[in-house]
Amino acid sequence: MKTVRSLLVVGLFLLPAMLSVAAEMRFPPPDFQTDYKIPDLNSPAPVSSNGTRDAIILFIALSVTTWMVFKARSRRGLFIISIFSLAYFGFYRTGCICPVGSTQNVMAAVFLPDVGVSVAVLSFFVMPLLFSLFFGRVFCASVCPLGAIQELVAIAPIRISPALDRTLGLGRYVYLGLAVLGVATGSGFFICRWDPFVGIYRMGHSFGMLLAGGAILTLGIFVARPYCRFLCPYGIMLGWMSRFSKWHLDIPPSPCVKCRLCENSCPYNAINMPIPSHLVGDPEAGKRRIRRLVYVSPLIIAVGATLGYLSYEPLSRMHPKVALSERIAAENIGKLTTDTLETRTFRAGKQTVDELNAQAVQIREYFKTGGAWFGGFLALIICLKLIGLSTAPKRDIYTPNKETCFSCGRCYPYCPVEPLPKRS
Amino acid sequence: MLEKKEFETNDFLWRLSSAVAVVSGLFSLIVFLLLIFNYVQIRNIDPIDNLLITQMRQEYASLPEKDDALAQRIRDLDLLNRKAFFTSQHHLRTGAVLLFIGVSIFMISFKGAFRWKRELPKLDETPTADKEFLAFAQSRQLITWAGVGILALGMASALLTESLVMKNANASVAPEGGDAAKAGDGKEPIQVAKAEIALPTWDSMEKNWPSFRGPGSLATAHFTTAPVDWDIATGSGVRWKVEIPLPGANSPVIWENKLFVSGADKDKREIYCFDINEGKVLWSKTVEDLPGGSQAPPKVSEDTGYAAPSMVAHGGRVFAIFAEGDLVAYDLDGNRLWGINVGVPQNHYGHSSSLLAYDKFLYVQLDQKVDPKLMALDVATGKQLWMAKRSTISWASPILAQTDFGPQLILNSEETVDAYDPITGTQLWSQVCLSGEVAPSPCYKNGIVFAANEYAVATAIQLEKPGDAIEPKVLWEYDEYLPEVASPVGDGERFYFGTSGGTLVCLNAKTGEKLWSEDMSDGFYSSPVLVGDRIYVADTGGKMYIVKASSTFELIATRDMGEQVFATPAFMDGRMYVRTQKHLYCIEQKANA
Repeated sequence: MKTVRSLLVVGLFLLPAMLSVAAEMRFPPPDFQTDYKIPDLNSPAPVSSNGTRDAIILFIALSVTTWMVFKARSRRGLFIISIFSLAYFGFYRTGCICPVGSTQNVMAAVFLPDVGVSVAVLSFFVMPLLFSLFFGRVFCASVCPLGAIQELVAIAPIRISPALDRTLGLGRYVYLGLAVLGVATGSGFFICRWDPFVGIYRMGHSFGMLLAGGAILTLGIFVARPYCRFLCPYGIMLGWMSRFSKWHLDIPPSPCVKCRLCENSCPYNAINMPIPSHLVGDPEAGKRRIRRLVYVSPLIIAVGATLGYLSYEPLSRMHPKVALSERIAAENIGKLTTDTLETRTFRAGKQTVDELNAQAVQIREYFKTGGAWFGGFLALIICLKLIGLSTAPKRDIYTPNKETCFSCGRCYPYCPVEPLPKRS
Repeated sequence: MLEKKEFETNDFLWRLSSAVAVVSGLFSLIVFLLLIFNYVQIRNIDPIDNLLITQMRQEYASLPEKDDALAQRIRDLDLLNRKAFFTSQHHLRTGAVLLFIGVSIFMISFKGAFRWKRELPKLDETPTADKEFLAFAQSRQLITWAGVGILALGMASALLTESLVMKNANASVAPEGGDAAKAGDGKEPIQVAKAEIALPTWDSMEKNWPSFRGPGSLATAHFTTAPVDWDIATGSGVRWKVEIPLPGANSPVIWENKLFVSGADKDKREIYCFDINEGKVLWSKTVEDLPGGSQAPPKVSEDTGYAAPSMVAHGGRVFAIFAEGDLVAYDLDGNRLWGINVGVPQNHYGHSSSLLAYDKFLYVQLDQKVDPKLMALDVATGKQLWMAKRSTISWASPILAQTDFGPQLILNSEETVDAYDPITGTQLWSQVCLSGEVAPSPCYKNGIVFAANEYAVATAIQLEKPGDAIEPKVLWEYDEYLPEVASPVGDGERFYFGTSGGTLVCLNAKTGEKLWSEDMSDGFYSSPVLVGDRIYVADTGGKMYIVKASSTFELIATRDMGEQVFATPAFMDGRMYVRTQKHLYCIEQKANA
């Protein structure tokens, strides 16, 4: 009850920040002659977009984080870096440039013929991945501004069941698929458009996105880092890299004594528990399961691709032009009685509705192909997940799950092997 | 072993943190409620679409002369509205900052409350291996169900999502040649003609009165005889007279022995078919239940009304359009062939452009504020065959001129006179010569296009074709008297028009020299029509003037129609059909006329 009350209270606190920004609107000056002189409108000077400087700061932040994770083993140090990242990459740089969003720039360079990617953006994309390949997800630990804000609000985290955790984690793949589809079809950069925290960093966004950001942060007090675990598309790639990381955070700095004290310390279900070889179970049953899945996977992927193809209509609504053409059609036939800024702007422009509709029809065709790839990709991921879960590996000690561990250091204080801090 | 400072507790700090959390929480809650209140206020202010200001603006726009007091009231209200909006927004921003500070303190103290009363880890009874096995099995099950869920969700969205654009493209027209087809909302079936309806030739169009101002909308009657002597008061010369139930500024159109007019008010739209010999109502239809749904009626001026555009009769079909953009096709027996809503025309007096048909094309001039266009629809199905983008608003109607260079569809706009190929929609030429709010349509005679509008000039445009392209050449301009609503007519040597000030004007077609001008009783909204060597034109006071088509003014007769006249009469085989404000008259030529 106490938890629910807290949840409601915090939710109520975060809502008005969104409402305040959503209420901002722009409208034309009076359309008659008056003595009033319209002041010159000057946009605030943009924050310097020095990509090289940002890349250097990112490198330094990653390096310091790595040192904090491996050498200092300081949860407090990581916490301080989180505050810095939130302040610099979040509020100062207003969430951009960001490695999570840079994924789209790279995808755009791959899919769209006339689009390139700058060295700075590329370095933002590559650097965290390289660090993950060598040191695990140190970027997630405290450098990512999206992760940092969630880490700071994760005050009373509870552990949800690992099964639910893994299942909800599929959301990241859906998000990634939609992001790729959005870039490939020219629909836009959805990771940026749907970034739930950028509205908070910039103190302004649509009401819906601010609401989503507030809801995620509120949820994040009790279910730590919900965006990172269930939505972040970049986290997938970081996880893949981290699986092969040469060095990775260890829970005990010296041999594990299997005291079990760390068992419940990780709110992310990222601690692999020991499974002695005599308890591994029937390996044959696991192998049979894998064999069946391998046989049936092509069919599942084909079904997914077909369904994705057939879903081109709802998927194509992600494209602004298709959405606009539908909205205008709804207004024209009286299904919707109010117009929007977009439809008003369109109607004031030179393009005709017929031209817009023709473009929308053309765009829908792209979504047939894109939808098939999207559906096939999701089906493939589900098959791979099921195959991966078919057998339980033998494990002797408590180890971090390299793919899902954020290297946040929450487990450090729970380990009795951890050397006591020096006292003056 | 666990004597780490992370697990140290401190009762004082815990109490302090909790107290700060409660205070900051309450503070944030109060600010939050005030912000919500403020947000609702801002939502309701909406300075852009304030209803009262909009109404006052429309009232101002409809006034014939400037009303400075009203303008000042609009300014004052607008300023008040904006002040209220910006003040609320300032409050909102200040509140947001206060809230941010409050929430930050709350979060820090909330975290502190947890930090200073942290519990030591508790060991679980269940063996770790069992927990892992269970988690693996549960994960497999849940992921499988999630996959099934995604599949079902995808299937449902694929099946249930329907494109309105695609749906309207398919459903806005009823299928031809089939049985009764359901309308968009399924309330009433649309009757679909089973027999093929032949397209009329130009010759047959000329012998009828198919559209506003007759064949091609050129204001020239095929039959050269028309009544001169009649008396509405005594009924002399009046073959029949009927009352039209609903009002409308549209003019009668005739195909063979059937006459069509439409009428509409805010709530109802109707089409009437009369027998031209007896004046009997052969059928009348209420226009409703169009596929896609009819639109809410727009605001229109009193002069224009809801049924200003004239219908068009085209062989076995007749078409009507209304202020809401509802466009319908019927056969001559009153069976609806198809119906479509072309969107509510966005013009501030109401839609007034009449329909025109030629070959298999039905032309709709939608010169409106947004998305202006000229549409050519298939007369049989209502499907769009081509569309030409227009650039400005107007209230004029298209004409179809049979020029030396082939048929041309000629349109007036707010700035230009434009010609299109009626078959392909290709723009043939354009001439800048108009300005202001253009309601008069152009006219054409003997290679010269004549266009005029108040606040512009009257311009004669000679069509030439020195090479592959047709080139418009301005022959002359004239600017003394100009028409505001009524369209001009030409007889080959002269152009005639009536002004809203009540002056009839005749200009030399070759030079633009004013040959005569005569002040009549009232202004002209009804357009003059050439019948043989006479010009028939009615003023808004209800007087019909019959003037000799010549270089000197010669008034043949003046007849009182007894009511105001806004529509242009139709002429067929010795008869004249006049729509007055409430009635429809058939005036027949007397034997000695």
